[in-house]
Amino acid sequence: MSGVNLNRIVKNYGSLEVVHGIDLQVNPQEFVVLVGPSGCGKSTTLRMIAGLEEITSGTLSIGDRVVNRVAPKDRDVAMVFQNYALYPHLNVADNIAFGLRIRRVPKQEIAQSVEEVAKILGLTEYLDRKPSDLSGGQRQRVAMGRAIVRHPKVFLFDEPLSNLDAKLRTQMRSEIKRLHKRLGVTSIYVTHDQVEAMTLADRIVVMRDGRIEQIGAPMELFNNPVNTFVAGFIGSPPMNQFEAEIAAEDGGMVAITQNARIRLPAAKELLGHSGRRIIVGIRPEHTSVKPVEGATAIPVELDLVETLGSEALLHTTVGDTPFVVKTETGGRTDHLQSVETVYVMPRDIKIFDLESGRILQSQLTEMAA
Amino acid sequence: MSMRETVGPATEELVAEAKESQRDRFRRRAVWLGDHMRREWQIYLMLLPVLIWFVVFLYKPMYGLQIAFKDYSIFRGVAGSPWIGFEHFQTLFGNDQFLRAIKNTFIISSLSLLVGFPVPIILALMFNEIRNERYKRTAQTIVYLPHFISLVIIAGIVISVFSPSTGVINLALQKLGFEPIYFLTRPEWFRPIFIGTGIWQEAGFQSIVYLAAIAGVNPSLYESAVVDGASRWQMMWKITLPSILPTIIIMLIIRIGNLLEVGFELIILLYQPATYQTGDVINSFIYRQGLQGAQYDLAAAAGLFNAVVAFILVMAANTISRRVSKTSLW
Repeated sequence: MSGVNLNRIVKNYGSLEVVHGIDLQVNPQEFVVLVGPSGCGKSTTLRMIAGLEEITSGTLSIGDRVVNRVAPKDRDVAMVFQNYALYPHLNVADNIAFGLRIRRVPKQEIAQSVEEVAKILGLTEYLDRKPSDLSGGQRQRVAMGRAIVRHPKVFLFDEPLSNLDAKLRTQMRSEIKRLHKRLGVTSIYVTHDQVEAMTLADRIVVMRDGRIEQIGAPMELFNNPVNTFVAGFIGSPPMNQFEAEIAAEDGGMVAITQNARIRLPAAKELLGHSGRRIIVGIRPEHTSVKPVEGATAIPVELDLVETLGSEALLHTTVGDTPFVVKTETGGRTDHLQSVETVYVMPRDIKIFDLESGRILQSQLTEMAA
Repeated sequence: MSMRETVGPATEELVAEAKESQRDRFRRRAVWLGDHMRREWQIYLMLLPVLIWFVVFLYKPMYGLQIAFKDYSIFRGVAGSPWIGFEHFQTLFGNDQFLRAIKNTFIISSLSLLVGFPVPIILALMFNEIRNERYKRTAQTIVYLPHFISLVIIAGIVISVFSPSTGVINLALQKLGFEPIYFLTRPEWFRPIFIGTGIWQEAGFQSIVYLAAIAGVNPSLYESAVVDGASRWQMMWKITLPSILPTIIIMLIIRIGNLLEVGFELIILLYQPATYQTGDVINSFIYRQGLQGAQYDLAAAAGLFNAVVAFILVMAANTISRRVSKTSLW
């Protein structure tokens, strides 16, 4: 198995630079997900790895080989496209066999490989059908079959599930994960859906405007976002963020925003900075509607209770800033209608710089302990 | 017989019921159409000019078709001329010139279908492979151009190019040491020149349809094939061509339907009595008999025959195509 190494990769369209020198090391057998809003350069990056876009500058290596100038077919990668890219005039078996036929693999071997792949993907009974006679999920499976059958060094996925409905997407997501476990092929997966990223990735690469914002394991990104963008992008619903002013109180620090005084985790650097404006970040999951020992209380005004079943989302406001609370329902929601205060442990609160949006937490040290 | 009573309603009752339900369906459809017309009257208004055009130029003249079965005289008029049945058809099929025209029509149109039909497809595939946009646009303009030139001028160009004294071709032949050939008086050269002229004039313009079809092919099919390792040539054969096959079939059906519609204006402009032997087609025969010879009834009979055969050809081509490739005009 081969890793993929991107070193200062830049992409220009004419004079417009869309990818600004990306560094990324994908380890052998690793499943890396590139995630970010549309136009962040994630698909372009993937297409550069596939060889469908030229690399303006920087070095791309697959395994030990620099492949900047290597034709796509010689890079030994296989790509799964968003719209499946199945040949409408060929049946499932011929679609899967296409890449092998092009490479003039012996017929016997092709038949065997196709059968094997069809079995893995549960397509055996559909081999004679045309793509137009298949459901979205089946088409997606055929597209993956085309990639798998060639035994490439690297799989590239370009938003492969975005044309499927929600239920099918969840199902295919776990199938892709299982497949990766089984085949152990290095995979790079592009999506704008952070849930897909969280569930599939060994490591997530969050991108914005042609730059990498943060690379890390899903929970690392969830727990320790480096800036407000990652904090807002990873997690669903996103992290609550609002502006506040630091003040000293009872030997600790508080963030004052409109009608709330929120106790912050202790921070040496902030001690002398009373009056500094910051962004406070609180994950909806880290809030509680019941008092908790050591928690800071935030007065809220309830707008709406959104019931999801075992959980509910309370859409509230702190002053005039929207604030979402996620809570267990315990099977009933009537007690949630009267919520006026939510509780947050200070250690769960993130503090970001107002200008740069970067986290200040790494500079914090626990004082109380 | 007694079984029927116990099994269910009698056949007559079933038939009556089916008829009633059919009437009901028609009634509902008529109501629906009425509602639709009231609601979307603007669309029907826009349809009107086309309908009027059809009635005035295609349906009303059909009234005159009856002279194919009449001994027509302009003084007695269409309605006043006496019926004579199939006499004109008998005359036609006893006429060597007409039989020759049928034969020529089939030969010329089959050859031009065989040779001319693939040319625009090949052109479109070739245009599609040109990467330089400016070069591509220039090349396309050059091949589209003859389509916009009047047929009379086209014929003039052909006549001067093949002229025995000043034509480019004969000058070239002479330079190479051959005797000049008076192409347009030689029966054996008439068909190649006619078909070649047709291709030169129309192939470029016809390629637009295929270019449009090619433009509609999902680009990720090509990208996927590139990653799979397909060459340009393989992509053309395995992706582009199969993707535009439905368009090709539709064009073929239309072409077969028009098989007997040999562009007779060009024939009339190019042929002469010396080349009637290979160049006279049904339409030019009709033109000579009907307009030049004033035998309107005979010409109408020949035209009707032409139309009936063309109709059968379209129906057959469409049916075969629907059965074989599931693509059809209707």
